[in-house]
Amino acid sequence: MNWYGNSGSYSTDVSEASARVRNNTDSSPKHLCDWKELQSAGLVSSRKEYISAVRNVAQAMAEEGIAAALSEKDTELLQMVRMLDELDEVINLLTERLTEWHQSTTPDSSRKYNRAASKKFIQTIAKSKNLSMRQVAREILSLTNLRLQLMKDVSRMADEVIPNMSALVGGLVAARLVSRAGGLTLISRMAASSIQVLGAESALFSHIRSGSPSPKHGLIFQHRRVHNAPRGVRGKVARILAAKLAIAARIDAFRGELDEAFLADANEKIDRMMEEAA
Amino acid sequence: MKDIRGTLVSEGAGGVYGERMLEGCRVWDPYRSKLSALWYLDKSTDLQKDEVVLYLGAANGTTVSHVADYTECVYAVEFAPRPMQDLLAVSARRKNIIPIFGDATRPKEYAALLEPADMVYQDVAQPNQAAIAIRHLPFLKKGGRLILMLKTRSVDIRKTPEEVFAESCAELEAAGLTVEKALWLNPYHIDHAAIVCRK
Repeated sequence: MNWYGNSGSYSTDVSEASARVRNNTDSSPKHLCDWKELQSAGLVSSRKEYISAVRNVAQAMAEEGIAAALSEKDTELLQMVRMLDELDEVINLLTERLTEWHQSTTPDSSRKYNRAASKKFIQTIAKSKNLSMRQVAREILSLTNLRLQLMKDVSRMADEVIPNMSALVGGLVAARLVSRAGGLTLISRMAASSIQVLGAESALFSHIRSGSPSPKHGLIFQHRRVHNAPRGVRGKVARILAAKLAIAARIDAFRGELDEAFLADANEKIDRMMEEAA
Repeated sequence: MKDIRGTLVSEGAGGVYGERMLEGCRVWDPYRSKLSALWYLDKSTDLQKDEVVLYLGAANGTTVSHVADYTECVYAVEFAPRPMQDLLAVSARRKNIIPIFGDATRPKEYAALLEPADMVYQDVAQPNQAAIAIRHLPFLKKGGRLILMLKTRSVDIRKTPEEVFAESCAELEAAGLTVEKALWLNPYHIDHAAIVCRK
């Protein structure tokens, strides 16, 4: 089947052609498009016109495809998580530099020994006499507030888009996992063992290449049940949690609604395992 | 392909990505584009005015725009939505680019749009790059060229780039292609190789 039709019944109509391309089932067509067929059917007069006709169809299909891909509900969540990570990085960089700057102007301050908690410290600088320093400090404080707000937004959105994963490990960690995997569809196709080490890629590849110890956990370490677990069973907790996350990701991708029975069962299994280990 | 005092350029409808201009022509940077790098390393690389090109892995359309400057038309396949938006913008200005939103591992989804091509150019970050190229052979004319830009690091991180290179060449030969040239794209692109085959 060609985009312009078969055996004499040709047309260059965009929507008809798109439907033909979409429903085409030949894996390698025995009969490729031949622009001369269209010319002899009188639909196009020149090679240039043929190219413009096929281009119209391809362009319309591409626009449709992009619109569909962007309307996937996880697209915005991914961008929000990445923005959150960038914000973290920016805030840390600015704070570090401002601290250094402040220290070089105040001889009696020692960052190491009497440094107040970071936020309080920045608040102090925000009252400093130096106008520029004061302004930088205020920017950092306002970025910190923005970060908090965005974090809540991410959690809320994650509860909506990936309800089961969020219920297992919290919205933020769930969203980070999906972001690292590249999207909900992709994470739903991942093996539990891949989810377990998502975010620990460099350790994983060094393990594969040079046989260093394999990583026990990646991003899921950020979840309290993993990092609060006693050292000896952390790997075990991470493994079981990842297995349940893999199932949760599939429920989220294909059903998209909260499955209470699954969650109760999964949480019970994880908690029981932790009790046994303790 | 055209050069001005040793710098590869192409002539076309204005700049696309803020590239440098030289005497009204668009400079084709070998550090950005693998096809340009191939030309710098092997001056016999050429594109013809009447060629139909099937371009797999079009990305943002920077290399595509240069290829389109030289050839009759380019069927540009890309599968990630974000770069596809850029490719659409590029193709809005160039009437001989046919932007196809599809997955090169599944040619059947867009096969109905394609016509026989004089050249298949492939630059995709996938583990099975040789297999993807072979899947597109039905669209290549007899005697046509296949240029495979092999990203060895995408194939298998456990193997050395040299092993991957040799295996891919063997796979292409086994599919009935003649490997005419195979070279590394150092120093322009590290761990990338160009394999030029003929059907």
